[in-house]
Formats: sequence, C-alpha cells, structure tokens
Amino acid sequence: MKHVFAFLTLTVFAAPQQLFGAIGCTLSNPAEDLKYLYPEITTYKEELNEFPRLKDGAKLFEGLKARLGSDLDPIYETYETPYTVYSVFKGQMKIGVVHGVNVPGKGGVIQVFLSMDPTTAEIKSFFFQRLESPAARELRSKDFRAQFAGLNLGDFYKHDYYAAVEPGAKADKIAAIKPPPLDRSGQPDYAASLRGIRKNLILLDFFVFKRRFEPYFEKARQAAEKAKGRKG
Amino acid sequence: MCVAKRGTISVTIALSVLSVVLSRAFAQVETPQTGKESSASPLPAATKEGTQEDPFKDLAPAATPQEAPKEPERSWVQIFLTENFGFRKEIMSQFDINKNGRAASRQSVGFEVLKKFSTPTSTVGSFNFQGRLVRRDGFNPVPNDMEGEQRRGWAFEYHNLYLDFYNVLNPLLSDEQRGENVGRFNFRAGRFYVPFGLNLQTDTHGTVLQLSNERNFGFERDWYTGFWGTLNKHLNYDVYYLAGSGYDLKFKGQSGLGALGISLSNKYSSEYSLEGGLSILGGERLSAEANERTHATTMRAVTSVPIETERVGLDGRYRQAIPTGLLTFASELSGGRDATDSVFTQLHQAEYIHSSRRWGMATQYRRFGEEGRGADASIIGELTWYFRNDVGNSNLHWIKLNVERQLERIQGRPNMIITVQYYFYR
Repeated sequence: MKHVFAFLTLTVFAAPQQLFGAIGCTLSNPAEDLKYLYPEITTYKEELNEFPRLKDGAKLFEGLKARLGSDLDPIYETYETPYTVYSVFKGQMKIGVVHGVNVPGKGGVIQVFLSMDPTTAEIKSFFFQRLESPAARELRSKDFRAQFAGLNLGDFYKHDYYAAVEPGAKADKIAAIKPPPLDRSGQPDYAASLRGIRKNLILLDFFVFKRRFEPYFEKARQAAEKAKGRKG
Repeated sequence: MCVAKRGTISVTIALSVLSVVLSRAFAQVETPQTGKESSASPLPAATKEGTQEDPFKDLAPAATPQEAPKEPERSWVQIFLTENFGFRKEIMSQFDINKNGRAASRQSVGFEVLKKFSTPTSTVGSFNFQGRLVRRDGFNPVPNDMEGEQRRGWAFEYHNLYLDFYNVLNPLLSDEQRGENVGRFNFRAGRFYVPFGLNLQTDTHGTVLQLSNERNFGFERDWYTGFWGTLNKHLNYDVYYLAGSGYDLKFKGQSGLGALGISLSNKYSSEYSLEGGLSILGGERLSAEANERTHATTMRAVTSVPIETERVGLDGRYRQAIPTGLLTFASELSGGRDATDSVFTQLHQAEYIHSSRRWGMATQYRRFGEEGRGADASIIGELTWYFRNDVGNSNLHWIKLNVERQLERIQGRPNMIITVQYYFYR
C-alpha cells in the first residue's frame, strides 16, 4: 500500500491548480427553454464565466457579497462556481440574455433564471428551474413572477436607498412587490427567491452589462452609511 | 488493447480538428449586427417611472448599451484553450472489504476536459473527455467498479470521450427554419453512457451507487453515434447506433445495437419534479457473460462473444421537497432477452439530501434475473458527508460509506461488501 499513498500524495501536489470549472447553474435543455422564452430565436450561444478566471476575480467575488448584502453560502455559492450566460439571437441580432443562479432554500436548491432585455438590462421574465420548497406552487404562480418584468438591478439598489432614507417611498418598486399567499413555512423561500433574483442581476451586471448599475449601488451604500451615522 | 488505444487517440485528434474546422466555417457565415443595441436608450429603466423628486435622476448612465460580441484575432489553439474550455481534476480513493475479510483498494487520479465551440452567434458543438490513472489491489464487485476485475494493478482508463454538434442542420436552413428547429437535430459521436434508462441524465462518474445498465448490458458506457434533441414541448428523443462493445471500440462479429429513447422534456422536471422515459434497444453486443455461460464448467471466460440482445425499458425519477431537505425516488425497469433467454432488470432507489447539502443518505434495491440462470440481487445503503456539493456537479468533495448486502447471486454465494470512498472533483 505504501506506493499507493506515495503516488497519491505526489499527484495531489503535482496536479495543476484549477484552471476551469465547467457546469454551474445551466439550463437542463437550453434549446427548449430559450425557444419558450424567445419564440423568435434562431440561434443561441453559451458563455462560461468564473471568478477565478476573471480579472480581479477575488475582489469581484467580495463585491458580490457586498452588493447582495448577505453572506455567501459555502456550499451553494463558492468562489469556484461556474456561471453560464446564454445569449439569444434572431439572425445576427442579439435579442436576449438568460442566466441562472443557485441559492439555498429551506428545502434545498432554488435555481432562479432570468431572461433579460440585452439593451436595457431589464428583466423580461423570471422562472425557477428547480425549486425544492414547500411553497413551490405559490412561488411559481404567474401573477407573482409577472411583477418582476421590467425591473432591473438599479431598482434593487434603489430599494436599499429608500429603505435607509425614505422607507415606504412610492418609487420603491421592490417594496411594492406582493408576495404570493404563503404560510410561515414558505416565507424563507420567498426571501431566498428575491435574493436569487438580486444575485442573478448582480452577476449579469458583472458578466454582461459592464457594471452599468454601479452608481446606483454607490448612492445606496452612501445613503445607508449616512443613515447609520445618524442613528449612531 | 494498445492498438485500440492508439486508434482512440487518432479518433480524438480527428474529431477535434473536425470540430475546429466546423466552428470556423460557421463563424465565417455569422457576424452579429449591432442593430437594436445602437438604437435603444442607454439609460437604465429605473428613471422611467421615478417619483416627483427622483433622487437618482442625477446619475449619469454608467455604461453604453451592450455591444455585440466581437471576435478578436487569435489562433485556434488560443481559442480552444481559453474560451469555454474546462479542465478539472479528480481524486478517488476507495477501500472495500467483504464479510470474508477479502479487502481491495482502488486509488485513482483523473481529469476531465470540456470544451464548447462557438461562432459569434451560436454554440455549435462540445467535446468531453474523462481519463483516470487507476491503481487496483484486490477486487470486490463494488457497484462502481464491475469492470475492475479485468484491470488489476495500474491502468489508464478513459470514460467519456465524445463530441456533440448542436443544430447540425442550421447551415442548410433559413433563419425562420432555424428558429422552428432549434434544439431538434443534435449529433453525438463517441463514448458515453448507454442511452437506456436514466443514465443519460445522471452523472454517476464519481458515485458508488450506479444505475442498472452495467449489469443489464455488461457495460454502462459504449461507443455510439446518432441524433438527440427536442421532439416537441413535451418530449425529447435519442436515436443511436451503438457498437455494442463496451470499453474498447471493437468489432468481433457483433452487428451492434440500435437504441431509441423517448423522454419527458425539461418542463416536467422543472414544473412537476418528474423525469421519465421509454427506451428500446436491440441488436447484437459483445458479452463476456455469454462466453462464460457457454464455458461455465470448463474454463473461465476472458473474451467476449456476440449475443443477440433485446430490451424495452421504463424509467422515472421524482423529487419531493420536505421541510428539511429533498427526497428523490428513482426506478428503472427493463425486460427483454439475451439470445433465447428472457431477462428482467429492476432498480429502485430512494435518496435524501439535507437542505444544507452537507449530508445525505440513499438506499437502492437492484435485481437482474435471467431465465434458467437465477438472479443477482442486492440491497444497498449509503451515507455521505459532503465538504463541497455544487448543485451542477462542478465542485464535489465527499466521503461515502456504502454497504451492499447481496441477496441472490447467479454465481457464488451472496456476500456483503463494505466500501469507504473519498472523492474530490474540482
């Protein structure tokens, strides 16, 4: 047995560091789902994104946590998790972007996918690919999901701003979202779903939209710090 | 064996070159336009319905609208190794012992290469290769190493080795026709899971628990080529020709196998947590067991001989969320014949994973019965502690304890095998 362990030890230390991961939160059947989301689709393209391979990836990953406003789960949301962005084309024209993330729910995995307008960075629709939740039926309801159409990451950052400066502001579109009728056991997965949408939008802002909503984040962050200072 | 491996390397190189050539051919006919992007408002939509005093109105747009992808000038080698290229390493350390005290060890280090090929507007293909350098000492028939008996000591093994080409008819179709047929005509060639039952949708590369194909056909992966895709919004299809030779691609008089699978679309998994399918397979495959049967009383079989094979199978998997985690139930049933003998295989599995994805447990009952010979049947229990357990299987790290109690055996007496496995994949 000695040589077996020697071999393993040597190999572990000699093995290259991770160059790449490959499959993160992907669509199980991209063609089918993308056709449903964009009936006018002619082709689609998959692009893999990973923090370890991005410039300043570690800093960006820390930035994700800051923008999400909560800790990242060590099992579901690791630094090495790969993300697949689907770009949807009609002929030569890009007509959509689709991206999914995993977030931990009460019963397990919640996979939140967003289809986006590639120009305005607004949500076209959101859906769950996997939803291991006692509240799955309620959270999947069309009425609930339809409320997110037209929102963008800026709306989530504005929500942070209004929460600090002007709670209950009419302009706070996120606060205006009506949750589906849920009992207490479903509340954590509602919160997890909102967190998943926000996380998805932040990642899309990193990977696709060239961080166009950063000024909104900065303004919200400054407002929150001021509010904290006043209270302190 | 050496000849077969050299052949495999040649096939791999040829397929890789072919894929790059095709990728470039697609790229030449597709160059995305900026059209819609340049005409749209660069402002994030948040300002559209602001309050009377929108506190964000002073914010300048942070970015210009998204530009269409541009293809920088790079060599095909650079493109191959940087864009959508994955390399992952794997370590598996497995020790097992039966109730008679016979111990065995299987240690391996491996890797997986994944590559997707794209044009500016389309992902046109992918390549996957899994290899392992394995050291085996002793042997017990653990579910994930049935072929290990023939490979004592050191061995380099290949597992997956295949190319997929997506929407292969696109170069012949108009944009409208491409839209109508997106996802319908995909082509696969190489070595992958036998397209029968749940295995095509299930990654059992690292797990101890396996599905039923290995026992049913003598191999869980085979060399094959054919088409797969979406039939309609409810059903997917797989239709292939398989060599029927198992590990090595070889023809020793067998005609090969035809396989047809119809399965529920992703919609059912997503909305109802349900997967299911019907599989039909028929033709000739190589079987060591068939040879063993013929020479059972005179010699130990070491070579395979062709055997007529027919199977029809039904499979299903259902996930049910419960307050603390997830329960998954899976079944594979298949019937048919090997030569003139009827066979019936069943596998039932129940699995629980805690919502933290830190630990899980599973149990499996499996039985392969053959007319006139008896049956191999086992019940298996398994406990797993996960250090890493990525939902997409891209980052795995666990320790498993697996206990198999054999209930019936065609050859020999039922035994019990205890396996401890350490697995790392990242």
